[in-house]
Parts: sequence; C-alpha cells; structure tokens
Amino acid sequence: MLRDIIRKEILETITSPKFVFTFLLCTILILLSVYTGITNYRAEKKEYDAALALNKKNLESQTNYQTLAGLGTKINRPPQVLSTIASGVSEAVGRVATVNIAYDPSLVDSKYESNPVFSIFGALDLSFIVKIVLSLFAILFTYDAIVGEKERGTLKLTLSNRVPRDRLIMGKVIGGYISLLIPLIIPLILSLLILLVYPNLSLAGEDWLRLLLMFLMFFLYLSVFFTLGLFVSARTSKSSTSFLVLLFIWVVFVTIIPKVSVLTASQIRPIPSVHEITAKKDAFLQQIQASGQKEALEWMKQNSPKEGEDQKAWQEKFRKYLEDLQQGLTSKIDENNAALERDYQLRKRAQERLAVNISRVSPASALMFASMSLARTGVDEHERFLASIRSYKPIFTKWANSKMMQSIDFSGGGQTTKVVLDDMPQHKFEAETIGKSLSRTIPDFGVMLVFIVVFFAGAYVSFLKYDVR
Amino acid sequence: MIEITNLTKRYEDGQLAVDDLTLKVEPGEIFCMFGANGAGKTTTINLLLGFLPPTSGTALIEGIDVAKEPLRSKDYVSFVSENVTLYGNFTAYQNLDYFSKLAGKRHLTKADFARVLESVGLQEEAHNARTRTYSKGMRQKLGLAIALLKDAPNVLLDEPTSGLDPKSGQEFLDLLLAMRDRGKSILMSTHDIFRAKFIADRVGFMKRGRLVMLKSRAELEGEDLTELYIQYMEERSEAGRPSADVGPVERQDGSGENRQG
Repeated sequence: MLRDIIRKEILETITSPKFVFTFLLCTILILLSVYTGITNYRAEKKEYDAALALNKKNLESQTNYQTLAGLGTKINRPPQVLSTIASGVSEAVGRVATVNIAYDPSLVDSKYESNPVFSIFGALDLSFIVKIVLSLFAILFTYDAIVGEKERGTLKLTLSNRVPRDRLIMGKVIGGYISLLIPLIIPLILSLLILLVYPNLSLAGEDWLRLLLMFLMFFLYLSVFFTLGLFVSARTSKSSTSFLVLLFIWVVFVTIIPKVSVLTASQIRPIPSVHEITAKKDAFLQQIQASGQKEALEWMKQNSPKEGEDQKAWQEKFRKYLEDLQQGLTSKIDENNAALERDYQLRKRAQERLAVNISRVSPASALMFASMSLARTGVDEHERFLASIRSYKPIFTKWANSKMMQSIDFSGGGQTTKVVLDDMPQHKFEAETIGKSLSRTIPDFGVMLVFIVVFFAGAYVSFLKYDVR
Repeated sequence: MIEITNLTKRYEDGQLAVDDLTLKVEPGEIFCMFGANGAGKTTTINLLLGFLPPTSGTALIEGIDVAKEPLRSKDYVSFVSENVTLYGNFTAYQNLDYFSKLAGKRHLTKADFARVLESVGLQEEAHNARTRTYSKGMRQKLGLAIALLKDAPNVLLDEPTSGLDPKSGQEFLDLLLAMRDRGKSILMSTHDIFRAKFIADRVGFMKRGRLVMLKSRAELEGEDLTELYIQYMEERSEAGRPSADVGPVERQDGSGENRQG
C-alpha cells in the first residue's frame, strides 16, 4: 500500500503543470548559474595569473630596495574553483593586498569595488538559487499536500478505505520528496558533468567531496522547507491559508532573521570602526617615526666620525646602527599594529560568532554558512587569508630592511644596487583542509537535521489527528 | 448491514450534531436521509466512516464497531461524497487503479476498469481523459465506479446527486438501484426529495441531530414527500419537541413511525 501511495504521489505531481514549470525553471536556472559561475571563475583565474605576472615584473623593475620596500609586493587572493557553486563573500571582499614595510596590509579591490553594478544584483550562484528559488518550489509542492486533498475530497475518499494514517503520511513524504527531487537531480547531474568536462577547470578529489557535501546540504535545506510545508498543510484547513503562512515563514527565514541577527549582534557586541583602528595605527606610526629620527640624530651627534677614523669602518657602523634601528622601529610598529589588530579581530570575531549563532535559527543562514565553508569562499577563509598576509608582512619587512640597509651607498650616489629577488621570501597560504571545513559546518548540518525532525514530527502527529471532514 | 444505536456526537464547543440516533439499514435497502444543512446527516456519515469519535452510542458496519476497529470496518463500506473531484491529473483508469488498490483489489485489469466505467455510463473516450476535464456528473459516476469496484456490502453516499443535471441524476440513481439489487445496504444523505422518493425503501428526516420522522416506501405511497418534509420540519420546529420518541426506527414494518405522525 505504501508503494501505491508513493507511486500515486509521484505520478500526480509529475503529470501536473507545476512540475513541468518547476522542471523547466530549475533546469534553466541551475545550468545558467553553473555556467555563470564557471565563466566568472575562469575570468578571475585569468586576472589572477595576470596580476601575479605584473607584480613580478613590477618588483623586478624596481631600481633599489628602498623603493621596493616602500612600494612593497602585492599578494593576490587565488580564486576558488568552488566559487562556481557558492561565491560566498569572495566578490565582496578585496582580492589584493599590498605588503610593504610601513602599513598594515589589508585586502582591497573587490569585484564589487571595481564594478559596483554587480553588487546591485548579487551573484546568481547555485547556493543562491537553492536558498531562494528552490525553497519556494519546495513550498509550492507541499503547501496543499494535505489540506488540498481535504479540499478536493480525496483525503476522505482515501481514508474511507483501510489506509492507516501513518502509512498515508509516510507515502506522501516519500513520494512528495522524490517528486521534488526529480526536477533538481537531472540539472544537477548535468551541472556536475559540465564541471567535469569543462576545459581549464581542474577540480581536485577533495573538491568533488566538498561539492557532494554541498549538494547534501542543499537537499537537507530543501527537506526543511518540504517538511515545513507538510507540517503547515496538516495544521490548516484551507490551502490558501497554508500558502500564506508558509510564505510568511519563508520571508522570516530567508530575509528577516539573517538581517536582524547582524543588527542584534552589532548592538550586543559593538566594535570600533576600521577607520578608528587605522587612525590609531597611523598615530603610532608617526610617533615612532619621529622618535626614530630623533634617536638617529642623537646617535650621529654622539658617534660622529673622529678625526683619523676610518671612514669606511664608520659607515659600516652607521649602516649597522640604521639597520638595527629600522628593524627595531618596524618591529615596534608591527607589534603595535598586531596588538591593535588582534584586539579588533577578537572583538569582531565575537560579534560575528554571535551574529552567526543568532542567524542559525534560520535554515537559510545555515545553508549559506555551510556552502561558503565548503566552497572556501566564506568570511573565515577570507580572514585566514588576511591573517596569512599579516604573518607574511614582518617576514617581508625584515628581508626588505636588511636589503635596504645593505645597499646604502654612503659615497653619495644613493642606492644603486640592482634589485635581486631570488631570496625574497614568498607568501604562502594553505587553504583550509576538508576536515576543518567539515567541522565548521557540523552545526549547520545539525541545525538542518533538527528542523527536519521537528517539522516532520509535527506533520506526522498533526496528520494523525487531522480533521479530514 | 449498517446499525446505529443511540449514537450521539457533541463537539467540543458544545454543539450537539447527532443526538441519540438509532437506525438500521438492511442489506438490499436504500435508506434516504433528509434534513436541512446542519441537521446531522454528514456527521452521521462521518461517524460511520470513523472520521469522528462518537460521544456515546455505537455505529456498526457488518457488526464491527467503527469506533473500536475503524480500519477493519472500512473493508466493508464504500463512500461516495457530494463533490467527487478525485485526482484531476489522473485519467479515470488511473484513479480507479489507485483507489481499487487502496481497497485491497490489487489484481484488477484495465478491462475490469473499462467494464465498470461502462456500467456507470462513462463513454469510452472519457476513460483515458484527465478527470479535471470531467463534468460534475462524470465525476460522480466515476466516484460510483470506485465504490462499485470496492464492492463493499455497505455504501454511504453524502448528497451524491447535488448539482447534477436531471439526466445525470437519474442515471446515478439507476446505478444505486442496481447496487441495491445486488444486496448492498445503502445509506444516502440527500436534499433531492424528488428523485429519492423513487428509489428509497425508507426515508428519514433529521433535525438538530435527531431522526424526527421515518417512513417506509409503502407509507409514502400517495404522499407528496416534498410537502411532507416541509410541513414536518415546520411542525417539529414549532413544537420544538425532541425526537427521542421516534422510537424503534430500525423496525422495517414502519409501525413505530406513526407515533411521530
């Protein structure tokens, strides 16, 4: 009997106009999103490769180490291949950071900065489509699953037979879910094939695993709205009421909770603005530079070359002093900046964590966090990348200072040493391992499962008591 | 056989929908239940189908207490509702296939479906059409075809002829007569006094949950049922008398009914 009910649910849905409409729209949207994602990724990869080459050329063209230390090197954020599925914050945050001996590096030049029109429409990636469009489809498939049968009189006719209610609801759940998955699975498989065969798009083994986990998350998310639809359908006596209630809950989940959580977190845990932090860093920089100049003059007064003193030896002594002074000053600047940054980051992270935890009341937020983490396009990955640049900064500074001091020519000709980059330390960034990403997404998977269990139990119990009259 | 004894249903809000109803429908009998909207006809059918628990009394289908064994009792009853819409995306065959399987008839073939559809008067070209394109009369016939396929000994019909055109209504009633001739116990709630008087073996008038009058076919001979209904309802309304004195309405000879006269 269960098989008959499942079969009927599937057949009833796939012969309906809404199925045809959903299938067509799903296919168009999913394929379009994957194609757009691939196109964007390839463009970014090309841009990234070009930026690396340009940076190398710029560094090599520097005539002295002082200029090189001042202008610094540019670190570009590599594009993530899974941004084709979930672009996350990658388009909103900066893609390049300048590392020099003076300023604390930060990522600038986001895609939205360079082309603000993109920010108006946002990214049409698969996670966005699942979050907005497919969740609405899940509602469309279920809002009248029970109450609609009551209105049509088929529920009464069905239950006038020897049909246990628990079996009927199970049949509806299984059959309805399969019906919902059919218009999704076909375009999703096509998308996977596109990702597989598209040239210059190399997905590693780990990427495939991440992709499968993202798809699992998508299915769980749709299951939340599917079970919610059944639940509301089993609690209402009119399908129009059911649809309105579901639409209200959808708006709350998808738009209100995520926005309110950020506002609430910023009220509960306020943080200073980036400008305040920058102003503090600049003030310290000016102070330390002034004291450095003063100290250098003092040293020169006290250690001016004596008559008959070997000029070269004095110059070497002075150079050593300057190198030590410069290293000392930059270390102080770096330490101060790091302390300010650490404090800021701690407070910011606390605020973010609070916002994330509040917004997890919504499955839409959980979906976004999980898909961003798995695609390595989330805020965490961005901050890890920024942290790696900040860790690189003192390494670069030390090397640049050393080179700068070694190349000082006291004969009055300035720095004319040819810039050699062979021993320049390189920035290294290791992307997050799948284990870590997965551990960060466990709460999101948990949230989804809790929602599914609660809504399913609600639908099940409500249907057992449902007034079929 | 359908057997109702002292059946009462009082809703949570205190409304008394069925009040101490006693009734028996024998095999090969059509019992037509009349009454205004809210008189308790549909509630009685819902109680017989186990969709509502009774407040007191018993409803038996083939001797099975519906409240105690709701699932088992459903093997012995078919139901045709007022507005059979069925699954609009399905054809008549698909609807029959699904509902006959739910009724436990798993081995029926398309030929069986075609036969029953023809027997209820559905033209062959309609068999493979989606039922959302059906007229109300066609849907009611299909509903009856589902009941015929189930072939349960008892049939409950909730205002099955409402909204049907005269021809469809008459065809529908002819089908009911055929079912009666095959020994089914048929309980039909209806407003259609004109048609019912030609097929009913007995009629009962319900008012405020009570069976306030019951007449056999013999007693209806020469009576204008419509006038009787209106008159009786008005009288009862004015008198405001309870109907507990309807007495042994389950009796087939109608001797008890004179007390309401």
